[in-house]
Amino acid sequence: MIRDITLGQYYPVNSIIHRLDPRTKLIFTFVYIISLFLANNRYTFLLAAVVMVLYIALSRVPVSYMLKGLKGILVFILASVVINMFFTKGDPWIDIGVLHISWQGFRTAVYTMARVIMLVLGSSVLTYTTTPTKLTDGLERGLRGLSRLKIPVHEISMMIGIALRFIPILVEELNKIMKAQQARGANFDQGSVFKRLKNLIPVFVPMFVSAIRRANDLATAMEARGYQGGEGRTKLHPLRYTAADAVGYLLTFIYMASMIVIRIMITRGMVEQLEQMKPPV
Amino acid sequence: MIQAEHIQFEYFRRDEDGNVTEMVEAVKDVSMRVKEGEFVAIIGRNGSGKSTFAKLMNALLTPTEGSLIIAGYDAMDEDNVWEIRKSAGMVFQNPDNQIVGTVVEEDVAFGMENQGTPEDEMLIRVAESLERVGMTAYRESSPNHLSGGQKQRVAIAGVLAMHPKCMIFDEATAMLDPAGRAEVLHIARQLNDQENITVLYITHEMEEVTVADRVCVMYEGELVMEDTPRSLFAKREELLRYGLTIPTVTKLAAELAARGISLPADIMNVDDFVSGMNQVMAYKNADAIRNVRSSQGLTEGRMDYSYSKPMNHSSGGMEEEERARLAMTEGLVCNHISFDYHPKTIYSERVLQDVNLTISKGEMIALIGHTGSGKSTLIQHMNGLLRPTEGQIFYEGRDIYEKGYDRSYLRSKVGLVFQYPEHQLFADTVLNDVCFGPKNLGLPLIEIQQRAFEAIRLVGLSDAVYDLSPFELSGGQMRRVAIAGVLAMKPDTLILDEPTAGLDPAGRRELFEILESLHANGMTILFITHDMDAAAEYADRILVMNQGRLVYDASVEEVFSHGKELRELGLQTPSVTLLMQELRQNGYPVPTAIYRLEDAVQSLEAYLRAE
Repeated sequence: MIRDITLGQYYPVNSIIHRLDPRTKLIFTFVYIISLFLANNRYTFLLAAVVMVLYIALSRVPVSYMLKGLKGILVFILASVVINMFFTKGDPWIDIGVLHISWQGFRTAVYTMARVIMLVLGSSVLTYTTTPTKLTDGLERGLRGLSRLKIPVHEISMMIGIALRFIPILVEELNKIMKAQQARGANFDQGSVFKRLKNLIPVFVPMFVSAIRRANDLATAMEARGYQGGEGRTKLHPLRYTAADAVGYLLTFIYMASMIVIRIMITRGMVEQLEQMKPPV
Repeated sequence: MIQAEHIQFEYFRRDEDGNVTEMVEAVKDVSMRVKEGEFVAIIGRNGSGKSTFAKLMNALLTPTEGSLIIAGYDAMDEDNVWEIRKSAGMVFQNPDNQIVGTVVEEDVAFGMENQGTPEDEMLIRVAESLERVGMTAYRESSPNHLSGGQKQRVAIAGVLAMHPKCMIFDEATAMLDPAGRAEVLHIARQLNDQENITVLYITHEMEEVTVADRVCVMYEGELVMEDTPRSLFAKREELLRYGLTIPTVTKLAAELAARGISLPADIMNVDDFVSGMNQVMAYKNADAIRNVRSSQGLTEGRMDYSYSKPMNHSSGGMEEEERARLAMTEGLVCNHISFDYHPKTIYSERVLQDVNLTISKGEMIALIGHTGSGKSTLIQHMNGLLRPTEGQIFYEGRDIYEKGYDRSYLRSKVGLVFQYPEHQLFADTVLNDVCFGPKNLGLPLIEIQQRAFEAIRLVGLSDAVYDLSPFELSGGQMRRVAIAGVLAMKPDTLILDEPTAGLDPAGRRELFEILESLHANGMTILFITHDMDAAAEYADRILVMNQGRLVYDASVEEVFSHGKELRELGLQTPSVTLLMQELRQNGYPVPTAIYRLEDAVQSLEAYLRAE
């Protein structure tokens, strides 16, 4: 049924990563993405890859699930590989007819691909291991400081929460209204773009009316239960850091520090000897 | 608990420029006192001011005049608003639109979170409240996966967790099936009995009213009657005048009384009826009861089992002869249809299993089954909105999925009215909305308009509504406009999904009258209903769905003779059948194969006269 659609793609197993505070995971994901753009050589990439493998293993989300997330962006990855490979200038390495692949081109292609894949995996683990509610909670708490800048953080997160609850209901309703108008002879997949848009009026007007009616009902129900905005509210399950989160933050810090150290060492040429293991040009 | 003195509530309707066009007096000079621990039912037509009154009791609205004290707080004083809402919790009509949390326990905690209740306290109270409504097992479920009745129980738990002194149920059962209704009513009654919580219970179901200590009737914003259910139902004429009705059993007693059989006037449930009968018989001669002639002699001539068909025969391959036979059938044929949601994926779910059924022209059929049994899915197959995963559908002898078949023709001939069809209205005027269907058929303008006029007349609306916006009409009128929108396609078959859902008793009566007159003019009608009395009263044939299968397809008499099996499917028999069975168990040799009010009246009259 349509109501079974879960937003995000939470994968319910009980792993250490699942139990981490959403804020810890958000910070780690953020740091990890930055680190991917710092990475510029095989050692930094290797480190990032090892960390990602460990992260996925700890999350206990099946690898097949992870790969499914990558399938959607396969075309994008391939395109970027091809463009990088053939259009980066540098010493010719392999010639296929008129096409030249330079060593630099090949390297950029591989690095870009690695960057995109690990970026997607990193954010997938976040959504696989964190329910949408926890995620909004984490954002609300994490961004609480912004409310001093008059940004309504609580209200925004309440809105996201309500949206998450109502999207499946509205999708179901949309489906029903479309069918009801079809039963009256409406046709949604014929005619020019303009005509099709016009044909959707009998769907959009009732959807709009219904959304407003629901919003009105919900606002009344919330008021009846004493909702007065974020001030003075408590939470049934407030976010609370545990020892695991401390370890998480520590590991995140160590990881980032290592990335920076390795990168600096390389630019300073301290591991130049290792760099000489280049393949023959 | 509640002291309302001459309260008044009015609001202004404005046009686009903000000018007042009309002043609406939703509640007029109502005085009512509710004692602590009372169970008060409020009934009245749609739009009679019940809901507005309920909102006044929860300080969602403030009376424009009068004085109102709720749980010791003066409701006229803005500062008391939050205290009042804490003491008087409210459960609303639409289960979907009052749940805030994405997880059950979070929703139950929502009210407490708003009050800043400490976490430990909340955890205890969440567990407590869920336990009291029997939803502990669903603590961590998503509300989207619950049934309507379960959602309402979650909403009740959310109110309970705030430890209210008073609970207001604003048509909380209107959108539920009979099982869900029973759950909610049972919990309301229990909270009243065991926790001494004051209950204000607004409803359209007369059977629910019978459990109240007191009933208030509202009509056009005024409180017009106030009495115990027992004495209230004795005033049948008055109730009918206010667009209401009385329980079927009370109706039966009144009919018998009108024929000179002096049953007590205050019968409101089966037990009353039985004791009423006992009185009558004791008056005549107690000994005669056991000596009467056997019940066989009394069996009505209306019984007819010939319609019954063998069910669930296995689905073999389609024989040529079979195909030829189906091709001869004039009406609508579902031939071994099965339907899966998301076929061939891991989410695949079979919702229809081998349904076999023929609808001949001119029939009047009721489709019953509990929520989720596949009723709505089945009817969507009948005009080609859903395509069966297996099996065929024939209309007028042609397979509707054969090459070159024009399904827009099918849709014009088999009209489908969804549940709450008024939610599909969209046009600026009633006339334009009704014209939508015929316009899609590509008819000439003059024909379109003629059909629209005709359809609006058929649903009993006057030509004064043509130029009104459909959104200005009352709920009942909007529903009729929506039905007119389907009738304007000139269907020969009309299929309706719970056409009376959410309507008040008078609205339901009027709607069935419309269906009966359409049927009398030759239209084939199939309606889904949860109301067994209506199914027995209006249909000739009944289809019963359970877990995606068609388990019964037979006459009213045949289907309802399987009372025990129906109960196992979570369904009931008509209330007169229940009554006759109860009488029989109490030693009265009356026939139990009685399904319609009229038959019950005749049969009981004959029995009592013979005594």
